[in-house]
Amino acid sequence: MNSATKLERTGWRPIDFRAGGFVIAVLLAFFLDPRSRAQSMFRGDPAHSGVYAGEGPRQFHRVKWKFPTGNRIVSSPVIDNKKIYFGSDDGNVYAIDAESGREIWRRSTKGPVPSTPAVAAGIVYFASYDGNFYALNAETGALKWKFATGGERRFEAKGLHGMQPKNQTIADPFDIYLSSPVVADGMVYFGSGDGNLYALDAATGDLRWKFKTGDVVHASPAFVNGVVFVGSWDSHFYAVDAKTGKEKWRFHGGEDPLIHNQVGFQSSPAVIDGTVYTGCRDAQVYALDASTGKEKWRFDNALSWVITSPAVTRGKVFFATSDSSLYHMADAATGKSLVRQQGKAYMFSSPAIAGDVAIIGVLNGTLEARDANTGELLWDYQTDASKRNSGWVLTAERKFNQPLLFFDNWREAPLLAQDRQVSVGSIFSSPLIENGVVYFGSTDGFLYALE
Amino acid sequence: MNGSGEMRLILLFIFASALICRAEDKASGRWEGLVQIPDRELEVVVDLAKAEDGQWQGSIIVPGLNLPGTQLVNIGVQDSDASFGIKTARGLDAVFKGHFNADGTFSGDFSQAGNRASFTLKKIGAPQVETPLRSTPVAKEIEGEWKGEYQIFGTPRHVTLKLTNGTKNSATAELVVVGKKVNNLPVDLVTQEGDLVTIQSNQTGIGYEGRFNKESNEIKGTFMQGPMELPLVLRKSK
Repeated sequence: MNSATKLERTGWRPIDFRAGGFVIAVLLAFFLDPRSRAQSMFRGDPAHSGVYAGEGPRQFHRVKWKFPTGNRIVSSPVIDNKKIYFGSDDGNVYAIDAESGREIWRRSTKGPVPSTPAVAAGIVYFASYDGNFYALNAETGALKWKFATGGERRFEAKGLHGMQPKNQTIADPFDIYLSSPVVADGMVYFGSGDGNLYALDAATGDLRWKFKTGDVVHASPAFVNGVVFVGSWDSHFYAVDAKTGKEKWRFHGGEDPLIHNQVGFQSSPAVIDGTVYTGCRDAQVYALDASTGKEKWRFDNALSWVITSPAVTRGKVFFATSDSSLYHMADAATGKSLVRQQGKAYMFSSPAIAGDVAIIGVLNGTLEARDANTGELLWDYQTDASKRNSGWVLTAERKFNQPLLFFDNWREAPLLAQDRQVSVGSIFSSPLIENGVVYFGSTDGFLYALE
Repeated sequence: MNGSGEMRLILLFIFASALICRAEDKASGRWEGLVQIPDRELEVVVDLAKAEDGQWQGSIIVPGLNLPGTQLVNIGVQDSDASFGIKTARGLDAVFKGHFNADGTFSGDFSQAGNRASFTLKKIGAPQVETPLRSTPVAKEIEGEWKGEYQIFGTPRHVTLKLTNGTKNSATAELVVVGKKVNNLPVDLVTQEGDLVTIQSNQTGIGYEGRFNKESNEIKGTFMQGPMELPLVLRKSK
């Protein structure tokens, strides 16, 4: 990939060569060194390629450090200027030293933070379940501004997943993430539980526009060539003009009026070489023309959700499924299956690709490293919570022990089952790979650095 | 055989009978106790009894798993040891293996999904073994092949149900659902109560419940697939 293509793909403007030589050199270094910007937002870049610089570790040596927080970590870590930023369901956003794992600062909000921060021009952006969107000084954690959305909520439906009573509206326990922001061209874009896609001035937090969808937006928008791409729980996928907030096109995914199980975009898109790749809870992975929204191909996963956000590189699409627990690699042009490996448990975490290594988190509390070309398992790391297997959440083979989890659809039983299910240190967080070190969060409350 | 040999045989018979009776006395009853799964104790109620044909039968109740009286499988009682299993439509596959102790308790290992925990049960009364539901015969006009169609996620599924009265005063059924694939579903239970016809496939969690209408010669009802209930009208094949 040449640098010009890279700039185009990530949506960054061309450099102004009328500026001074030093400034040009600094800017060039910034733009051309992927580490300086590429890993400071969800999925690595505004296009959400899921691709990281360098080679991922083919062997596991040790836990470099682990950092405790007060609650589950669903947010994914990002790195900027040797600091790791992430949110925790304990309500804090943390900045920690990437080398030592020591806390630099933390900033509290009034709600869980299952949103992945974006860092740009010294500002950390993220959403909290308190209904606010925050901008903090990346060095100190001091508040620069905050923006109140219409309020957060989870996707909900009557008789969801067959829960009883059928006429009762039930919040979806699997609507686990908050939208993670993308920063581009001086604007910050994110989705909200109030159904809007927001565009704010990145420096001031002023509202530039908001775009209303039919339901909760917890997927994370991608930005390419002046267009923002995002899916909604209303089962539509949208392309919106980044400057005006006007809809360019929309694509309709599957519907499930019976139990609302096979509906909605929870996966976040990757937009590469003029194609949008996104998973959907209707069990499809879609490839859409980025200009028109026309479907190029779809990959059917036989009723198994695709929550992971696809990673795309070298003409291949990497994704994984939930119930069927399959790890896939498909041809990016045709959707033809190239690799299919059976995993052990649900995957919501999105694969991170570095060189020939793909790393993904699994909800059984295991991080898996696979050969990116063959899908074969290179190594895995099991959290202590997963090893403890309290209450036999897992079988001896580390699969979910379904008969002991989901045995009742009455009252709060399915919600408690989901709660119990993630007690094994589930990895919803999407891994970050930097200089051979893998960073990820777990529902055991720890952020891990493995090398 | 001389007299003392006969006497020895008689004594051996009496001793063996006593042993058998003792094992029967020990095992038969309603047992209650806990399975010590780490951080999740499971309370269980087990009923064991010997049927008229001499076979052991039993059932189990596990309130913590939403499991009402469910038949035990693979029951084995020998001297002071016993084992039995649970196999349910929801995929619960577990085994109790234990020993009758001098203090009147029954304790041992409970294994499920490759995990193992100890259990201790105490006899609390006479057995109340749950009798399994049995298929009934169906009326002559309901026998035969029925066809219908239901929709799921916008895709049609074609259903063929063939009901036949067997020799044991009960009906059997063949249930085939054709969508993207052809699915031959094992049917465990067929019942008819008045005009209500019920079909149950335990392994797949699929069922059908419908009312037979003599005039229109159709069965109008609901196809149940997991938590989903879908309208399905079956009509007699010509």
